[in-house]
Parts: sequence; C-alpha cells; structure tokens
Amino acid sequence: MSVKHGLLALLERGPMYGYQLRAAFESSTGGTWPLNIGQVYTTLSRLERDELVRPLPENETGQRPFEITDLGHAELAKWFASPVSRSDRPRDELAIKLALAITTPGVDVRAVVQTQRGAAMRTLQEYTRLKTDVGDLPWLLVLDSMIFQAEAEVRWLDHCEASLVRYEAPAAQPVDADLPRDAEVPR
Amino acid sequence: MSVLELRQVHRTHGTGATIVHALRGIDLVVRTGELVAVMGPSGSGKSTLLNLAGGLDSPTSGEVVVDGTVLGSCSRKALAALRRRKIGYVFQDLNLLPSLTAAENVALPLDLDGVRGSRKQALDALSEVDLNGYGDRFPDEMSGGQQQRVAIARALIGERTLVLADEPTGALDSQTGEAVLRLLRSKVDAGAAGMLVTHDARHAAWADRVVFLRDGRVVDTSGPLDQPEELLRAP
Repeated sequence: MSVKHGLLALLERGPMYGYQLRAAFESSTGGTWPLNIGQVYTTLSRLERDELVRPLPENETGQRPFEITDLGHAELAKWFASPVSRSDRPRDELAIKLALAITTPGVDVRAVVQTQRGAAMRTLQEYTRLKTDVGDLPWLLVLDSMIFQAEAEVRWLDHCEASLVRYEAPAAQPVDADLPRDAEVPR
Repeated sequence: MSVLELRQVHRTHGTGATIVHALRGIDLVVRTGELVAVMGPSGSGKSTLLNLAGGLDSPTSGEVVVDGTVLGSCSRKALAALRRRKIGYVFQDLNLLPSLTAAENVALPLDLDGVRGSRKQALDALSEVDLNGYGDRFPDEMSGGQQQRVAIARALIGERTLVLADEPTGALDSQTGEAVLRLLRSKVDAGAAGMLVTHDARHAAWADRVVFLRDGRVVDTSGPLDQPEELLRAP
C-alpha cells in the first residue's frame, strides 16, 4: 500500500489538512504505520501536482485543507478494484534462512523451527491480548490481519517440521533389535 | 495458587518391543487465573496430558495434583467426586445429552451430588455465557456455537477450579470459535485455571503460556513479550 492511496482514501471522507490526515492515517492503521508530517506534506504536493487533490483556502487557524478531485476519486476507485500483488512484497527472509539451515552442516533445523515458532506464538499472544481491548472495527481488522499472518507463519513452521521428519526418515540408521526403542504414538 | 501440578509425569502404553512413551517426565504447573495452551504435532502427547490432568487416565509414574489432592492417592469414588466438583471438561464433540434441556445438561454435575437449587445455578451459568432464556431448549434446537457455550457453562458450574478443553472450537466458524475462546478466557480471568489443547495457533494465543510438546516432552514454552508495543512499530 502507498501513502498516496491512504491519503486519498482519507480525503474521500471530506477535506482535511496535514495534521488531521496524519492522525486519521495512524488511527486507521492502529498505529502500525506511523507517518511523519513531512511524508504527509510531500505526498500531498505530489497528489496536487497530479491533480488528484486540490488545496482549499486556509481556515481561521491558518491550516490549509485539501479535498479530493474527480481524478482522485477515479484513482482511488481503481486502487480499491486492484489486488495487492505479492511480488511487490519483500523477499521472505525466514524461508531463505530455513532453506540455508537445512543445507548448512551442524545446524539443528528443528531447533531453528521451534525458535521461530516460539517467537511467532508470542507475537500472536500479544496481538490477541491487544484485541481484547479494541472495539474499533477498522483497527480490529488491521489487528486480525496481523493475527492471521502470524498464524500462517506458525502453520507453515508446523508443516516444515512435519516435512523435516519425513525428510530425515530415509537417512535413519536401522534399529538395533537388542536396544529398547521409542515407538511413535498411534493416533 | 497452583490448581494443577504435574510432577515428573510419565505415561507409557504397552511393554517390551511395543512400548510407546506417550509422555516423558512432564513438569507443569497451572495457577489460578492462568490459561495454558498445549500445542504439538499429532502423537506428541497433548491429549494424554489433558486426560491425566483431568483424572481420566493415570500416569505410569509421577504425580498429578489437582487443587491440593494427589489424584493417585484417591479411591475411585473420591476421584469421581473430585472430577465432578472441581474439574470441568469441554470437548470438541460437546458431549451434551440430547434428551436433556440446556439447563438440565448444565445442572447435571450438581444433580449427581444432590445439590439443592441446581436449576437456578444452571440458569445463572447459562446467563453468564449469554444464553439467557435458552434453559428449556434441547441441544438440537441450538446452533453449534450455542451448544458449545452450554458445554462451557456445564464445565464451570459449581465450585470448579480447573477447566480442561480439548479443541473446544471444533468445527465452529472463526467468529463463533473466537467467542468461545473469549468466554473461556474470561472464566479463567474470573478465578479458574484452564488448560487448552489445540492445533490452532490463533486459539492458543488466548492463553497466558503456550507449551509445545514433541515426542512426549516439553520442548518450549512461550509467554508474553517484555515490550509488546514493539510489535506495532513499522519495520
């Protein structure tokens, strides 16, 4: 998501000036994406240059509000109608780290998986705790998005662990019949 | 205060070459006001752990202590009474009796003990889980989420100090499942102790601690972060 489209969406509610836009943006994203005021004004001047917003006369406190133009409405509608491309997201460091762990001698891959899973689980616990105090729907949905992403990471790590067990199986040594061994727990 | 304590609990099935070590030396304490989730792959010992905690199974060695009572030292009669009075169970398949109304299902543990005024207590318990006015409905007249709330009311009626839940959200949709977990969480916050077995990380996240089992051992425990606000900072 770009700040540009975020500000256009906020201006769709009605004219706002810079500080109002910054506060509304942070409130809409539950503070997960802090903006500095410089970013807001830089983006507003680009939006004005592209005729997506226009400035209004200063109010009595000297603040200049901006309103969305017809071109801005059209741009916003186009943005809402387009999916967010996965290719725009950064590389998945975790997947690469795990792939390297498997091929690096002496690394306990299951420990790497568990360390990550524990961290993801703690994150998930904290998001869930925050959820109990939130009544505001937009912020709840942002929080839910983070919860589902953290859950997806845990599920993927579960899958990795199960795959590791299967992957290691062919390399296991034959069981010595004279030694006690631990059988798998039947389901 | 510790409500559930497992001390070096081992549970094996079978003998000799076919021996299965379901649990190997588990130490675990669950205190009043604490919800602990147990996660792990299939066969890791999660359900065995829950069954031992609830007195539905006995350890091969080690001790299980509920509310100060060592379960292994109880007679069968005393154990049954303790299970009825102190421990509440919520299972995936609900186990509501179809021929009893919601209030009768909830009152059943009290009725078995001859407690007077069980219906009023049951209706109060139903009210606490937002099922005011549902006391005379039969399970098949209620939705899955409502039935699960009846099961939770039954699990927590009377002086129950420990609630044990095995995949309590079962096949419920995401919103209804979350409502069930909120309820479980609030009950624990109100003074019970809880243990929740689940495959679902999103559900486990309602717990104070998440214990990971693998091959019958605790391999990790996750608790709260020191600085949760850091999670909300943009990368």
